[in-house]
Amino acid sequence: MNHLRLFLHDWVTVFNLVVLSYFFLGNGIYTILMLLSLRATWVHLQQMAYQGLDALRHSPLTRPVTIIIPAWNEQDVIVNSVRSALQADYPDLQVMVVDDGSTDMTVSRLVQSFGLVEMDGTYHPIIPTAPVRAWYINPAIPNLLVVSKVRGGKPDALNVGINLCRSPYFCNLDADCLLERDALLRLMDPIANSAVETVVSGGIVRILNGCETKDGRVLRVGLPRTWLERFQVVEYLRSFLFGRTGWHLLGGTLIVSGAFAVFHRATVIEAGGFCHDTVTEDMDLIVQLHQWAAENHRKIRMSFTSDPVCWTECPSTLAMLANQRRRWQLGLCQTLWKHSEILFGRKYGIVGWLSFPFHSYVEGLGAAVEFLGYLLIPLGIFLGMVPPGLLLVFILLGFIYGGFLSVGAVLLEELTYRRYPRFRDLLTLLVFAMFENIGYRQLVLYYRFQGVLKFLAGSRRWEKVAHVGATA
Amino acid sequence: MGNIADPVTHWAFVILVSVVMGTGLLIAVAFFRRWTQIRYARYVHTLQRQYRPVLAEALSGARNPAGIEALRELPLADLELLLDPVFSKRKLPERCLVFLQALCAELGLIELWQCRLANGGSAAFPASGSGAHSGFHDRPVGHYLLRAKSIRNLGKLRHRPSWPLLVNALDDRHADIQSVALRSLASLGAPESFPVLRERLHAVAQGKSLSPPLQGLQAAMVSYDLDCVPALLPSLRHSDRQIRMYATEILRTMVRRNAARPQGFTLTPELLTPQVVELLLTGLPVDPSAEIRARAAEVIVFLPDPRALTVLGDLLRDPQWFVRLRTVRALAHLRQAAAPLLLDMRECLHDIHWRVREAAIQTLISRGPEGKRQLYEHFLTSTDRTAREQIIEVLERAGLMAVLVEEYSAGANGAEALMVEQLASDAASQGLSRVLCASRPEILRKFLDRMLPGVIAKLRLLEEASPEVESAISLQKALTIPPNLAA
Repeated sequence: MNHLRLFLHDWVTVFNLVVLSYFFLGNGIYTILMLLSLRATWVHLQQMAYQGLDALRHSPLTRPVTIIIPAWNEQDVIVNSVRSALQADYPDLQVMVVDDGSTDMTVSRLVQSFGLVEMDGTYHPIIPTAPVRAWYINPAIPNLLVVSKVRGGKPDALNVGINLCRSPYFCNLDADCLLERDALLRLMDPIANSAVETVVSGGIVRILNGCETKDGRVLRVGLPRTWLERFQVVEYLRSFLFGRTGWHLLGGTLIVSGAFAVFHRATVIEAGGFCHDTVTEDMDLIVQLHQWAAENHRKIRMSFTSDPVCWTECPSTLAMLANQRRRWQLGLCQTLWKHSEILFGRKYGIVGWLSFPFHSYVEGLGAAVEFLGYLLIPLGIFLGMVPPGLLLVFILLGFIYGGFLSVGAVLLEELTYRRYPRFRDLLTLLVFAMFENIGYRQLVLYYRFQGVLKFLAGSRRWEKVAHVGATA
Repeated sequence: MGNIADPVTHWAFVILVSVVMGTGLLIAVAFFRRWTQIRYARYVHTLQRQYRPVLAEALSGARNPAGIEALRELPLADLELLLDPVFSKRKLPERCLVFLQALCAELGLIELWQCRLANGGSAAFPASGSGAHSGFHDRPVGHYLLRAKSIRNLGKLRHRPSWPLLVNALDDRHADIQSVALRSLASLGAPESFPVLRERLHAVAQGKSLSPPLQGLQAAMVSYDLDCVPALLPSLRHSDRQIRMYATEILRTMVRRNAARPQGFTLTPELLTPQVVELLLTGLPVDPSAEIRARAAEVIVFLPDPRALTVLGDLLRDPQWFVRLRTVRALAHLRQAAAPLLLDMRECLHDIHWRVREAAIQTLISRGPEGKRQLYEHFLTSTDRTAREQIIEVLERAGLMAVLVEEYSAGANGAEALMVEQLASDAASQGLSRVLCASRPEILRKFLDRMLPGVIAKLRLLEEASPEVESAISLQKALTIPPNLAA
């Protein structure tokens, strides 16, 4: 009995140290990212006064872009999404919808709304994909092409788009997203003005729920009604305004939202295109590009700008949220595992020594550590190894520090873009930021832990989040 | 709560209190920021409401001395605030620009902006007006944002005398200022500044300097008028391949920008100088760099010189596929009679690279009836399945399938009619059947009146060969038309 108690004692002590390190490492780095982003976003805001988007708009050197919209059973949202893409303010733009074998009315709604006719097409794949079975065009809308292919998954649909696109850059856009009119122009600005070859440019994704929309455009920005969606607004602000911005500033970008990002086509093709072996093809491609650049001694740049905005629908029910978070966590673990040789690899620089280890430990393993922490720390108290007072202080610290970071994200938003203009919205956001770590965080943690378990079980199933048509 | 005297608990407690205070501070800052923003917005709103009529009057050219006097009494910073929306506009109308320039000069704003740029922004303000707002603290003199806005405003005003200051700004310590200066120089288009930019381009391309950014330099240089092209000659002749390539790219873009304008455009030797024309016809098309050859082709098409056709014909047979691609694409803009080149273009329909083939189809279509005839003839005689599929695809995307059907229904003969019959008898064209389904009834009837006898004759032959074939089903399948129409 004594041996068992001793074993448990040692085990719980080690685990408590792991939890502590997770807490300090995670929050410490997030604090650094927040401080870095605060300055960078502020400077970016100043730059907007003289950004010269007009020059980019009229410059004959501005490169053509193709927006690729992969769609699978998106009948409720696809028309508005395509409409928003066609309305984008960009001098040389093509829009291509790749229907990934939908079984609903996705294609027929597009045909009906845009007056498309089926045509004969030739397909010259550079990246191997499932076959394309139908092509639709309307000669009166020459910059729109819809192709329908045999189902092969989102990465396959994106690869078809890459094969078919003729422009040097392509922008992938999720079928439930709405673009702001000048978002693409802003996204291309860092590419046009960079001395180093910029192969990826990502923008911010904001939550559409609660906003007023018409014909693919957001007319009025507002907060969603339900607590679940509001927590996600705060979460997105934190993730994009200082998570992505901060990593970009450090040169350690590992995630660019697949919902809205511009890629250099030739580089993506050289790196092998989107892979099918993870469920988060966007992150996988970014990590793959890092690996490809390091192996081929290529100097590339990945840019993130917190200003070009794409609006997306967030899950409005617990079941949808669970699907989404499980998939994200599963994809994260799959990608990190797949590219594990980057971990502490000398040639990968900041990515190999900071960004990848951080994502592996805090974002990947962290879900399991934190979840088990909630179970094992009470055991420590029960065994008399952790003083309850200390535990209470630490738990409070954990909650309040999380709140501090979330409030920081809201402050960042307030200092810079102020997309939520009403004073009531600011108050609501602050309240939800303070309480995000009590209840909601644990709920999401539970889903993430399930994602880790699915990864350990070897699952590769894509859990679709049904879109209810907030954009419609 | 645990024993606070315990060191770990004590430190945890200290951190906790700090974090709580930090969170409180962040919330306070957020509220303060919102409050100042509201105040600022109200201030700007009041200012604009008060002076907008005067400003609108001044920008429309109406003379209002009392209004100008009222504006003159405002602090310069307030004037800038008032005019900022005007300068932030996408494009100012030409007429408005003249009055705006006069107004800014009269109010001393041009002098203020020039002073900010002189000596790296450390110069004193002009005597008139103060630098500060009446209600808000302004940014410190020399702040990069003030310099950037000054450069932007001078550029928007197209204040040509300021070009030396803008050239100086290319050496500013702040990278953004360099970019804004480039844009403003491009907007000014002062020919005197073009050689300066050319030298910068050489320095950056050879790695002697890292700033200003290369892409910004190129974007600025292409905005100049074609009169500046002779100043590009040293770059076009440079021994460094990179510099030659950038210069050819700049020349190509300048030419294409001018060619896209609605008024007529000819690239005369007087405009380019005989040396540049000679280089374009004899030097650049045989440059060792394929990138340069490809770009040169896009300029040569605009030359009225008879030698241009021979040069372009050679470039159509270039070993590099993208030179052939760019040349064939450029031929769509050829101003001279392209007859001698049509056969060369038709050869490109057999090209090994599908993009060249596709570009050749598009160019032939763009060359008018003669080009289309060549294309149709090629379709009718070629046994190359891939090329035929590509032709169908491009015809459909260009909306030409409907035109062919209409012409056929109207009784057109020749290659167009044969083309339609070939498409119908192949029964492989989805596009043709869709076009037929979407056609107006009278067009469809005329089409069927003309097409059916031939199809029925073919079916009879088929029936004789295999009696089990049911002609109605075959007919319907062949044309994919509604059963009632087929009947």
